[in-house]
Amino acid sequence: MSESEVALGGAGHAAVMEEPAYAVPPKKLTIWLFIISDAVSFGTVLFAYGYLRVGSTNWGTPFKFSSILNGMIMTFVLLTSSLTMLGAVLAAKAGRKSSSVKWMGLTALLGVIFAALHLREWSHMIAEGWRLFQNPTGGSVEFGAAFFSITGLHLLHVTCGVIAIIVVATGFNRGRLTEGHVETTGLYWHFVDLVWMFVFPLMYLMNAAR
Amino acid sequence: MTVMESDREPGMKFYVGVWIGLLIIAGVEVLLTYQGFSTGTLLAVLLILAVCEAGIALMYFMHLKYERSTLFWSLIPVTIFVLLLMDHFWADALRLTRFRVWPF
Repeated sequence: MSESEVALGGAGHAAVMEEPAYAVPPKKLTIWLFIISDAVSFGTVLFAYGYLRVGSTNWGTPFKFSSILNGMIMTFVLLTSSLTMLGAVLAAKAGRKSSSVKWMGLTALLGVIFAALHLREWSHMIAEGWRLFQNPTGGSVEFGAAFFSITGLHLLHVTCGVIAIIVVATGFNRGRLTEGHVETTGLYWHFVDLVWMFVFPLMYLMNAAR
Repeated sequence: MTVMESDREPGMKFYVGVWIGLLIIAGVEVLLTYQGFSTGTLLAVLLILAVCEAGIALMYFMHLKYERSTLFWSLIPVTIFVLLLMDHFWADALRLTRFRVWPF
């Protein structure tokens, strides 16, 4: 039975019920609506940061090349995890369950590596004296607030994504969940990657010591 | 595969190409950071590249290109419009920019 037929309550009812909106299964449309609302949330904090950044006269550019290099590695890891998640979705759609689960396992591992690199960056900064409202270089105190808030919000999304991938991989492997669940989890994971495409240049590159 | 999905979806080889393209754009962003641009110019350049990256990810990684076009037209223009409104009519944020002498 297809995903859409399941959503409509079975093949027998499909003929008398209208097609789901936009010709996508309800759970896929739901994750799209969540992504859009989450995009606006990230847009809000990034706009706030942008105005603080250009409006401040003493913002400072504290990131040495080692931090930028760390950010580049994080970007590589997260972009690669999107590719492995695509592998999981393609394998799930092709009915290759074990292959899909392996791809999801690799994606979760890359997510954990990303989070570890992120926390390493945070611990270095905290050791240097950076806090939410404290700037050890004497510049604008909003830098710490903006950096920890925005990267923290993104890290929270990564953590939730890793947990979701592990749960879905387990459920899919046991036959409790379908390829539709793998696809919607993949959409969320790609969104987390998409947000990083703005966080990295705005939070790291804009604050690189040049 | 669901009965409503498109059969046009490409294979893994194509997505590897997209992934390489995204990595190249990220590398260009880092290179441009050290070219000595002013803050305003660098912000504009990085935002343009980030929007390009996001567009590619949205269309290919998130498969929006392979969905029915009504899904794209219902979701994306409205989101961009909301973000632009937020940027344009954020009075307090505009006040913040006046703390500093233009151009910065």
